Amino acid sequence: MTKSIDLIRKSLKKRYAKERRYKLLGMLSVSIAFSFLVLLLTDITVKAWPAFRQAVVSLPVELSADALDVTAQSDLEELRAADWMAPLRATLLERFPEVSSRSEKRKLFSMLSAGAEYQLQQAVMDNPNLIGTTVTLDYIAADDVDLVLKGLIDASLPEDERRVDDQQLGWIQSLQEAGNLSTRFNTTFFTSSDSREPELAGIRGALSGTFLTLLVTLMLSFPIGVAAATYLEEFAPRNNRWIDFIEININNLAAVPSIVFGLLGLAVFINFFSMPRSAPLVGGIVLSLMTLPTIIIASRSAIKAVPPSLREAVLGLGASRMQMVFHHVLPTAMPGILTGTIIGMAQALGETAPLLMIGMVAFIVDVPTGMTDPATVLPVQIFLWADSPERGFVAKTSAAILVLISFLILMNALAIYLRNRFEKR
Amino acid sequence: MNSLTSDANPSINRSPSMLDLNVDSHVTVGDNVLDEAKVRVRNLDVFYGDKQAIHDINLDIREREVIALIGPSGCGKSTFLRCLNRMNDTIDICRMTGDIELDGENIYANRQDAVLLRARVGMVFQKANPFPKSIYDNVAYGPRIHGLTRNKPELDEIVEKSLTRAGLFEEVKDRLDSPGTGLSGGQQQRLCIARCIAVQPEIILMDEPASALDPIATTIIEGLIHELSEKYTIVIVTHSMQQAARVSRRTAYFHMGRLIEVGDTNAIFTNPLHDLTEKYITGRFG
Repeated sequence: MTKSIDLIRKSLKKRYAKERRYKLLGMLSVSIAFSFLVLLLTDITVKAWPAFRQAVVSLPVELSADALDVTAQSDLEELRAADWMAPLRATLLERFPEVSSRSEKRKLFSMLSAGAEYQLQQAVMDNPNLIGTTVTLDYIAADDVDLVLKGLIDASLPEDERRVDDQQLGWIQSLQEAGNLSTRFNTTFFTSSDSREPELAGIRGALSGTFLTLLVTLMLSFPIGVAAATYLEEFAPRNNRWIDFIEININNLAAVPSIVFGLLGLAVFINFFSMPRSAPLVGGIVLSLMTLPTIIIASRSAIKAVPPSLREAVLGLGASRMQMVFHHVLPTAMPGILTGTIIGMAQALGETAPLLMIGMVAFIVDVPTGMTDPATVLPVQIFLWADSPERGFVAKTSAAILVLISFLILMNALAIYLRNRFEKR
Repeated sequence: MNSLTSDANPSINRSPSMLDLNVDSHVTVGDNVLDEAKVRVRNLDVFYGDKQAIHDINLDIREREVIALIGPSGCGKSTFLRCLNRMNDTIDICRMTGDIELDGENIYANRQDAVLLRARVGMVFQKANPFPKSIYDNVAYGPRIHGLTRNKPELDEIVEKSLTRAGLFEEVKDRLDSPGTGLSGGQQQRLCIARCIAVQPEIILMDEPASALDPIATTIIEGLIHELSEKYTIVIVTHSMQQAARVSRRTAYFHMGRLIEVGDTNAIFTNPLHDLTEKYITGRFG
């Protein structure tokens, strides 16, 4: 007797050591994964930070009715057509009288963004009474000025190695010292769509496009996916060759490269059904094709996990199969179905390749308002900006990634909230 | 008689293991066939795939009697019970032959009848399985799906009556909205009984309803069965012979898929006719 206890005691030591080693290994892998995540997020956040500030030049501009050839009574078309760049130019020249040559002038004027004249135009069109007065607006500065202010252009480099020369640096310094040049929160980033000019580019368009596309995806893939899973799990005949064939196909579809779905969308929806190009409608349909297998597989396993005792209880009361499924099985399986749906939707949210094929990669400056408007989506916008040569887009790219991640977290939070509500019932 | 041939076989006396028992040429002993019956089962065979679980059972069940089905594990008593409300339909590989009549009508005649049948033949399961809903909704579900009530007060009345009859109303009347799964094991089982009788079935099938409960909860359930027997026909499967003796009027003994003996409970436990029955109730196997 004593002998076996000794043996067990000896082996205990070994067994506990094994357990400790395994725990350590587990903790190690968790911390590695976690630190990579932290590294990634910090890197993106640090890079994205500058994109949330924007350099603005605050200039008092005299709007003389004679020079502009418009009056407060002019109609909107006339106001729109006036040369709004002229008063801005005049103000800048007045500020820096030493600038005389053409190339110097061009350099000076390029300190303001191309959007500055539209800011002025819009302000006057909103309130024509401004004509004849002196107006002070915060004009968006050009991306180079913006980069200097954020310290992203190193002034200590030799002049020929940086984008901004010494003269421009002098103007920037002078404006800064006079309090005319400062940075403020970048609202443009959230209110405007894509632009060739980094300082004017925003994610509003991509955000709307993503929202509309995912709405189509959810509306299609959730009901169809749950219905298909319910049929296959609850109503389909067992050991039927067709059903087996469909099951194998669904499982394989989940592994099909996403670009193939894009080609399918291009060939079927755009070429054959003549649906509009670059539209959230087509993007949503293509993404739902991709999301469906994920939702079906997750829903099926959630339905399968509903305990048989519950089914028997319902059937034993004399409920029909349909009543059993819709009153009890689906509500019980709903948390699992929602988890699968959110995984599928998160996949769809991050998908770029299939959308490239159906033209959602186009350069679109307008915010889409409907399912058939041309649009792009966040990941494609990130792809486009990452591909742009302008330095100003570096921060924008990271900022767009942050927005995408926030969108994802928001979606997940919603799903978790819904899941908890279903679990409580 | 079978018992005589079994006695004559010396091998049984030497080693009373189940495998040695001769049950091939079986004839059910006792009053398995009656003149008046609520349920008539004739020549019932049930198969799971290739395996035969029930061999040629003939059994009649009277109206408003409690009949207990006893026997060792795997003897087919639960399978038999589940045939009575066509619960075995839900198992793909299960198939049956023979006739089961309820009030003279074959319950397997029309496929559409399963829903109606299960409303007439309620079932209480071994493990309490309340819906993950409120106590009220648990009881109200059956009447709701069958459209038994026209308005809310009527439904309230059914719920209260069913809970009262199941002896649960006093304990839960203040928390009808709390989840049924939050009750204790015995309370859950009584909730399941209340849910079952809310549909006003004619027959209640009980598959070891007290096997997962402590002695006090078991006593309550047994008292309940006794009360319910005034109104309903009850078929109860049990592993506890004491329970069978306490609650039932008749007892049927199953062995390896065969119905060995049926008779008055007192008679079965004091003076079994069949050798196998005697061996089982005296605890020599099972």
